[in-house]
Amino acid sequence: MKSTKLKHKYTDAELADSFVFRTKISSKDRQSMDVDLAAARKKVQAKTSVKDQYYAELLRLRFLMEDEIRTSAFNENNSFTSFLRKYIKLSYKAYKDFALDIGLNVTELSQILNNHRAPSDNTIIRLELHSSNFIPAKIWFRLLEKERLNKLDNDMLIREREAKYVKRKLKL
Amino acid sequence: MFIIVRETGEKAQVQIERVTINELKSFRKNKFWFDWKTEVSNEVYKLITADSNVQGLISLIPVEGEQRIQINLLCVAKENRGSQGKYRNVAGVLIAYTCRLALKNYGIRGCVSLVPKTTLKEHYIKRYGMLDAGKQVFLEGASLIRIINRYAL
Repeated sequence: MKSTKLKHKYTDAELADSFVFRTKISSKDRQSMDVDLAAARKKVQAKTSVKDQYYAELLRLRFLMEDEIRTSAFNENNSFTSFLRKYIKLSYKAYKDFALDIGLNVTELSQILNNHRAPSDNTIIRLELHSSNFIPAKIWFRLLEKERLNKLDNDMLIREREAKYVKRKLKL
Repeated sequence: MFIIVRETGEKAQVQIERVTINELKSFRKNKFWFDWKTEVSNEVYKLITADSNVQGLISLIPVEGEQRIQINLLCVAKENRGSQGKYRNVAGVLIAYTCRLALKNYGIRGCVSLVPKTTLKEHYIKRYGMLDAGKQVFLEGASLIRIINRYAL
């Protein structure tokens, strides 16, 4: 369908607000266009501030966390502790300084990071507050819940242990 | 993410999902202008409202080795176009979602680009803060972050 039909119906501003059209380009034109784009991008990259780089990394982390929550499969590399380590490393060289800033005992933080101890609700709220609500508590919480569910799903020992307490199971 | 009901200014929550190959056949030209079956080798996403209606489509081409995603096609559903359209910001949210993908995959060096029709170039620059690269326009760095903040957070 020709885009000229649309021009009779909509202004250029309205068209830009509703479409990106396919454009036929020769491979020669494509090459020179891409050279121009690369040059323009280089200028932008040179001007990118440290503040923008930091914010972009934080945004990226948040998006990775949000997308991990949405997938059903559990990925060890995208665990709560894995994300927590990445979050801390964005702003701190030493974990103990982060522990200080959220009023947590260094030992407790170490136990959390090494999966020897689950973070308390208080700790999760402090993570939210530390990020100025940029990464809300519910994101941290849902990551933890996903890990917990994965552990529960795969724990056969607990099922064997708890079976003796269950009587008159449903007959289906 | 949300789009705006034009009449009332209310927000309508939306989801963006990848379109399957079979679904491509279902997007008719009378609503979505283009023949979307031609985009089978690209990544096509749909923007849907809570009632599962598709309000817009976007076709993306990741350009490997350049940390860039090219917007090949974008179309807002017929009922959302123009000054009387039902929903506003559909295109903005689709472009912002693409920026989100670029940032997630490539970090601060991620780029979103498109080749505009000559008559529309200035409008993309004005409306979405796109940067001028001659025959292409693009979003990267601060401009990419701005559009995510505006439409995708």
